[in-house]
Amino acid sequence: MTDHEAIWELLAGYALRSLSGPDGAEADRLLAGHVPGCPECRDHLESFGLLASDLALAIQPLDPPDLLLARLHRDMEPDAGALRRFGAGWIAAAAAGLVALVVLGSLALSGGGTSATLAVADLQQAVAAAARPGARTNDLGAVDEVALPDRSGFYLWGEDVPQPSPGQVYRLWLLVGQDAYYVGQFVPDPSGVVAIQVEVRGAYDEVIITTEDATSAPEEPSGTAWSVSSTPATPAP
Amino acid sequence: MQDLAAEDVELHRRLSAGDRDAFDELYTRYARFAYGLAYRLTTNTALAQDAVHDAFLALWRAPEAYDPSRGAFRTFLLALVHHRAVDTIRREERLRARGERAANLEPVASEDIADAVTERSYLGIRRGQVREALRILSPEQRQVLEMAYYEGRTQVQIAQELGIPLGTVKTRTFAALRKLRGALKETE
Repeated sequence: MTDHEAIWELLAGYALRSLSGPDGAEADRLLAGHVPGCPECRDHLESFGLLASDLALAIQPLDPPDLLLARLHRDMEPDAGALRRFGAGWIAAAAAGLVALVVLGSLALSGGGTSATLAVADLQQAVAAAARPGARTNDLGAVDEVALPDRSGFYLWGEDVPQPSPGQVYRLWLLVGQDAYYVGQFVPDPSGVVAIQVEVRGAYDEVIITTEDATSAPEEPSGTAWSVSSTPATPAP
Repeated sequence: MQDLAAEDVELHRRLSAGDRDAFDELYTRYARFAYGLAYRLTTNTALAQDAVHDAFLALWRAPEAYDPSRGAFRTFLLALVHHRAVDTIRREERLRARGERAANLEPVASEDIADAVTERSYLGIRRGQVREALRILSPEQRQVLEMAYYEGRTQVQIAQELGIPLGTVKTRTFAALRKLRGALKETE
């Protein structure tokens, strides 16, 4: 195999987004260095990219829900950025006190000098807070972690959050060093809305959400990790 | 194909100037393919919607990210959707065990192509050509391609799951794309 064929093998994996670890790093290095100046490699990269989009066409197309375009139109408004997960209907429902998030057994545990509590958020305050200047939003997938500069803790927000399987709940943990501390458990309301306020005193490194059996003792994260924040709202010093 | 690509570029130009009708037209053209792809990868309706939503919203908010001189618009958009969906499933591996099976999870090459060839649009015709081309791959080549692209697996994961060397996965992937490129070139 020539050096170029080895590069093209990497580019093939890159086009399919299937590289990881050292191969991913090597592809990044080649894309920043060799590839832009090599017509053959550029040609391979371009053709593999086109093939990848052709592979997308091979899938059975599916009609997206009609509401998706409406949701896009709403979020295309200039001031929609900070509130992208909050539908107008949901905000109206929150204002009317209609949203009933189910929080099961909120707990306050402490460890390593850090303590935390989990509770249903005050929706109107929280919606207003998310739109405040300085609010930081961390995408955790189905929910957002919203932190404010002048308060400890954070909010968890989400619409269309998948319901856990019957008998299961989501559990929230804070990672402090090598130790995970259980904060509380929750399920979305029937419409898939999650709105939680987490008060934290002290430092933590990461937020972890797991899916676990509701009857199991929350001694350590034992279920499947649903989401792990990469940028903690309150970094450990 | 050139007509469609040229129309896409013109629609993108209008979208970049804030034309919502152009956005809607591009959505109408590609949302079904984007959603089909996202659903195939995530096997979850909410996450598939999020992937498509985020891709189209990114297009609206930063249309300059697409440079017509670097390729077709559909390549850019569907790559955006694919990346978003792959990132989602890698973050939420639990979804693989949730049991919600996508309706379009059959192996791509084994699907009936009859419905594809009856689609009159260019994209429908192209879809039929791609599925025909997939049939020329060996089962081993098709397997690594489907695991990588349609299931979002990394090459390392594929090697582990199939119990084969990583180098073999790379070789099969490259051979598969090269063979597909040759087959599809003949149809252009």
